[in-house]
Amino acid sequence: MNFAFSDDQVLLRNSVRAALDEQCTPEHVRAMMDDTRGHGEALWGEMAKLGWLGLPFAEEYGGAGLGLVELCLVQEELGRAAYPGPYFASVVLGGLGLVLGGSAAQKEKWLPAVASGSARLSAALVEESLDWDPAATGATAARSGDGWTLTGVKRFVPWAHVADMVLVPARTPEGLSLFLVAPSSPGVSLRPMVGIDLANRWSEMTLQGVTVKPDALVGQPGAAGSLLEALLRRAAVSASAEMLGAARRCLDLSVEYAKVREQFGQPIGSFQAIRHRCAEMLVAAENAHAAVYYAAWALDAGAEDAAVAASVCKSYVGEAARQVCGDAIQVHGGIGFTWEYDLHLYFKRAKALEPLYGDAEYHRELIARHVVV
Amino acid sequence: MDLNYTPEDIAFRKQVRAWLEQNLPREPIRTLAEHRVWHKKLYEAGYLGMGWPKEYGGGGARPMEQAIVGDEMARANAPAPTNGLGLGIVGPTIVVHGTEAQKQRYLRKILTAEEMWCQLYSEPNAGSDLAALKTSAVDQGDHFVVNGQKIWTSGGAVADWGLLLARTDPKVPKHRGITCFLMNMRQPGVDVRPLKQITGSSEFSEVFMTNARVEESDQIGKLGEGWAIAQTTLGYERGGRSLARVTTYAAQYGSLVNAARRLRRHGRPLSDDPLVRQKLGRIWAELEVERYSALRVLTQLERGEHPGAGGSVTKLSYSEFEKRFMELAEEILGPYGQLTDGAPPEYQLQIDTAVGERGTWAYAYLWSRAGTIYAGSSEIQKNVIGERILGLPKETRADRAGAMR
Repeated sequence: MNFAFSDDQVLLRNSVRAALDEQCTPEHVRAMMDDTRGHGEALWGEMAKLGWLGLPFAEEYGGAGLGLVELCLVQEELGRAAYPGPYFASVVLGGLGLVLGGSAAQKEKWLPAVASGSARLSAALVEESLDWDPAATGATAARSGDGWTLTGVKRFVPWAHVADMVLVPARTPEGLSLFLVAPSSPGVSLRPMVGIDLANRWSEMTLQGVTVKPDALVGQPGAAGSLLEALLRRAAVSASAEMLGAARRCLDLSVEYAKVREQFGQPIGSFQAIRHRCAEMLVAAENAHAAVYYAAWALDAGAEDAAVAASVCKSYVGEAARQVCGDAIQVHGGIGFTWEYDLHLYFKRAKALEPLYGDAEYHRELIARHVVV
Repeated sequence: MDLNYTPEDIAFRKQVRAWLEQNLPREPIRTLAEHRVWHKKLYEAGYLGMGWPKEYGGGGARPMEQAIVGDEMARANAPAPTNGLGLGIVGPTIVVHGTEAQKQRYLRKILTAEEMWCQLYSEPNAGSDLAALKTSAVDQGDHFVVNGQKIWTSGGAVADWGLLLARTDPKVPKHRGITCFLMNMRQPGVDVRPLKQITGSSEFSEVFMTNARVEESDQIGKLGEGWAIAQTTLGYERGGRSLARVTTYAAQYGSLVNAARRLRRHGRPLSDDPLVRQKLGRIWAELEVERYSALRVLTQLERGEHPGAGGSVTKLSYSEFEKRFMELAEEILGPYGQLTDGAPPEYQLQIDTAVGERGTWAYAYLWSRAGTIYAGSSEIQKNVIGERILGLPKETRADRAGAMR
């Protein structure tokens, strides 16, 4: 039993942090907030070169063959930097989606391209109702010729505007199925959904009679339910890692500020009102750390409690990160409410991810199904 | 990172489980004499003082083995050993700070519960501000004469010996004038009175010392260094039982879920009510987070790292969680949750509480108020976290510089 990172994992975290400190500065984040595409090719190329984009793929697909624990280490650092770009969409949603359910041909075609950065993927996991249960999917796919025709509306599809291919769940006569759809296909239209986190991008994706070839089907028709549940768990845990990173950065900024900001003739960190708040933030961050990495390990190891652990993680970390980032604004006072100061970048990152991939109530009900029945 | 238990640990767990099945008392334990018999059995099986040096009767075991024994005992709802303060605090203090003679004289008898111990720290006017303690110990050459009053002395009523903090120099700043002693409780100058708590029971005592005598050879550490020693003993109190604690919570949770399946509101079981399910789901998530954190602490201990101030994070987290958990239990159980007597079996808590043996929800609820006060209140833990982990500046305090009186 060992709940500590290995030397290799520590090395990975340090190198990711060092690279992001240099290339994903707050200035870069702010520049990308105003950028049309929203992410920089230079950083993307660097991420490919450093092997981050193929981190969880098998070596035969140009990946590093690492697990969700390592992926979460990277995601945590990305959150800490309020990284702007499609890493999560491409590597976690699209990449792991294909790892979980893709055919050998699909993996061969897409995973090396994701790993090299030449292709970007995403997944469209929710619709108008915001029900994250894959069974709630309303989009349909009808057979047409030897292929399929898809119709439906997907919402909050991350980085669809730069994606080459999006995983789209749709209902077929056989049941819930999963398809690869290029946003550039005729019949697909994207509409930006601009949220408070301007360094992150989402689209509404409308499919009006979009025709795809037979090889667009991921897995067997009617068999996508368990695949999507498995993907949702990994997305929830990875997003939690990113929220944890945002919370850590907010805590660090708060502690540093509380040491130097003086009021009433002394540093505000010497007042218990501030110190106790910072201590509570640390407890929340440490607990969130335990929740993220336990769940990541459990999913990697196929542990009996992996599904519950993923829901424990998402429900706990979402609220903990919101609390920590909000408290950070309170510790800072007025400066924390300004656009110029960087705190809001992380506050908004945590808030933006909180309701995605199942909010706390969604995951608590999943927990209850296991332990209350 | 690998959270699987090793084959050795799994084998050890099986062995402990089998031993408990064989040896668990068939009848509830009531008297101190019965407790001592059970305690002795545990010791002879090698399950007490597992981490202490072998030469003083300990087992030299790894932290994981100690945690497994605690965990299996919680799982089996086994009665706790007696002499908890001796095992948890006094023994480790003597191991670290005691002289060779003190180790030879005291350690084995703590393990066998031949001598019971208490801790004489808090005073009526020195709670969170423990260093303000006023009990005096005056040097008479070969012994000290002790006068003063202690409070919140757990196990005081049965203790043969006490680990005492007393002021030996009132002329220096308060943190520097305190010395640590081992005091014989069985002497005319020591008067122990039970302190009745909000639970109606008396796990704690008040202790009055009037010209009590402490031998010079029973001084622990150097004169004036008692505060530093007390800091380390408070450290032992934090985090050690974390895995067993969570297993007890999980058993209590199971009991609560069973009750929620029987109780009804608007014609349907509470366990089908989405609001109740949300609350139960939240508490299970928090409980699991406590378990993961316990595994993290165990990893540190296994690597030979002392959690230090990190223990404050653990203690703050679980004690505050326990209050939220018990508040939810009361909410679900309604008036059943308040019964101290006459609860139907399906609404009884069949599980031992943290320190007592009364398995009622009412008792567990009341006890949950203690955890955020004893061994350093939540407010003190937050000060420790702020100063020692986050490095925030200490507050400007008038009491750090001047002499005690």
